[in-house]
Amino acid sequence: MWERLNNWLEVRIGVDDLIRSQVSEYRVPKNINIFYTFGFVAAVGYLIQVLSGIMLLIYYVPHPDHAFRSVQDIMLKVPYGWLFRQMHVMGSNLMIAAIGLHMLTVFVMGNYKRPRELTWIGGALLLFVTIAFGFSGYLLPWTQLSYWATTVVTSIPTAVPVVGDFVARILRGGDQVTGATLSRFFAFHVSILPPLFLLLAGFHLFLVKRIGISATPFGLPAEEKRPWTEYHKKSHVDGYPYYPRFFQMDMLMVMVYLAVMFFLITFLPNIFFPADATIPADPFKTPVSVRPEWYLLAQYQLLKIIPNKFLGVIIQLALFAVFLLWPFFDTEKEKNIMKRPMLRVLFLFAFILWVILMFWGRS
Amino acid sequence: MKRRSFLKLALAFLGTTSLAAFVYPIFRYLAPSAGGERSNTLSIAKRDIPLGEAKEIVFNNIPAVVLNRPGKGLIAVSRVCTHLGCLVQYDRENKRLLCPCHAGVYDLEGNIVSGPPPKPLPKLPLRVEGETIVIG
Repeated sequence: MWERLNNWLEVRIGVDDLIRSQVSEYRVPKNINIFYTFGFVAAVGYLIQVLSGIMLLIYYVPHPDHAFRSVQDIMLKVPYGWLFRQMHVMGSNLMIAAIGLHMLTVFVMGNYKRPRELTWIGGALLLFVTIAFGFSGYLLPWTQLSYWATTVVTSIPTAVPVVGDFVARILRGGDQVTGATLSRFFAFHVSILPPLFLLLAGFHLFLVKRIGISATPFGLPAEEKRPWTEYHKKSHVDGYPYYPRFFQMDMLMVMVYLAVMFFLITFLPNIFFPADATIPADPFKTPVSVRPEWYLLAQYQLLKIIPNKFLGVIIQLALFAVFLLWPFFDTEKEKNIMKRPMLRVLFLFAFILWVILMFWGRS
Repeated sequence: MKRRSFLKLALAFLGTTSLAAFVYPIFRYLAPSAGGERSNTLSIAKRDIPLGEAKEIVFNNIPAVVLNRPGKGLIAVSRVCTHLGCLVQYDRENKRLLCPCHAGVYDLEGNIVSGPPPKPLPKLPLRVEGETIVIG
């Protein structure tokens, strides 16, 4: 019976063939390591966000008179509501960390180099869409912290002459953050960003499949290290099959991701809920400690220390452009970062600066 | 021009104009309509703001503060920080207006003393009619 059903499906869909070509016979480089799993972990993280987000949608009310109350009810009254909200909140932070680590790995391995420039850009855009998810979701509980953090961020475009005020009004749906802003952010969070994310992820995966997984730059013959000048698929015929070897590595890291998530939910449940995140929004009182989530703290601190608002915003935009278009700035053929002292120094400087700004912004 | 090229061109034109026809409605749909209800004036009793004190008000949806400055009289300024939109607070001790978000400091005229704000706080028109302060 099972065999007949399987044959029936095989004729029509070709699942066995698909699994064979894409999983069990799909080869990955021999020197691939555990750091290559962060992309898969981020994809699983997105799935968790979608499922927990759907659960929250059942009880959440996107209206300034009800949003705070409905989130409190999810946490306190709805059976297991706390679990799905905690998974969504922790997951949003962990997913950004997973994508950040994935990009860090790609950077250190030099895997953004020709012909993978567009794969890097797709990944960087995915990181920004994920941050946009975090930022738009931040307003939805309508707390003091979310209200004023949104006020600050939606004021950033006003630094741009001529069109800045108009852009800020479009973002907010008015002069201030109001119910119109909540509606806009809600629509953005649940109906615009998800298809945008899937579109970018599809583009990113298409490129990964088309060009093939890039091997690590360590311990390979010189021929392998030279960037390509014409298209050929990197199929790694001498590599290991994706399943079971690399799939096990992927699943191990998914387990680590889930373990971290549930560790935080169990032992540090308030790590992303400071005091102002438990007070309903008051449009006439700015709390003393307005600050965004950890992943925006460095940018926030940079805005704080640069005395000129326009200059502050321009520097942020320039840094964004350099990050996004990095493969076009770094045209050196050598992929191995251990053989590039200047790049190592630059990377360490940028990373340490980011960490310092983050902790400074937090204090 | 060949018939096939003409048809391609006509299709491209019709497709582009059909899409372009939606640009303005989408733009208008997303652009917020001009502010809500606006009142011409707001009155406050003079006795509500003793010398050296301040009163927070909302005038035409703008959070503002009326200050009774010793030796300088009354003034009304917007509380919306010109840096990134947080609301400034009156620091009675140091006679300054402070922004809690990015440490912008203004004097009681709304002028910048320190910090990142690019412009002074906008002043609101204020006059005194007997025992009443009229804003607007």
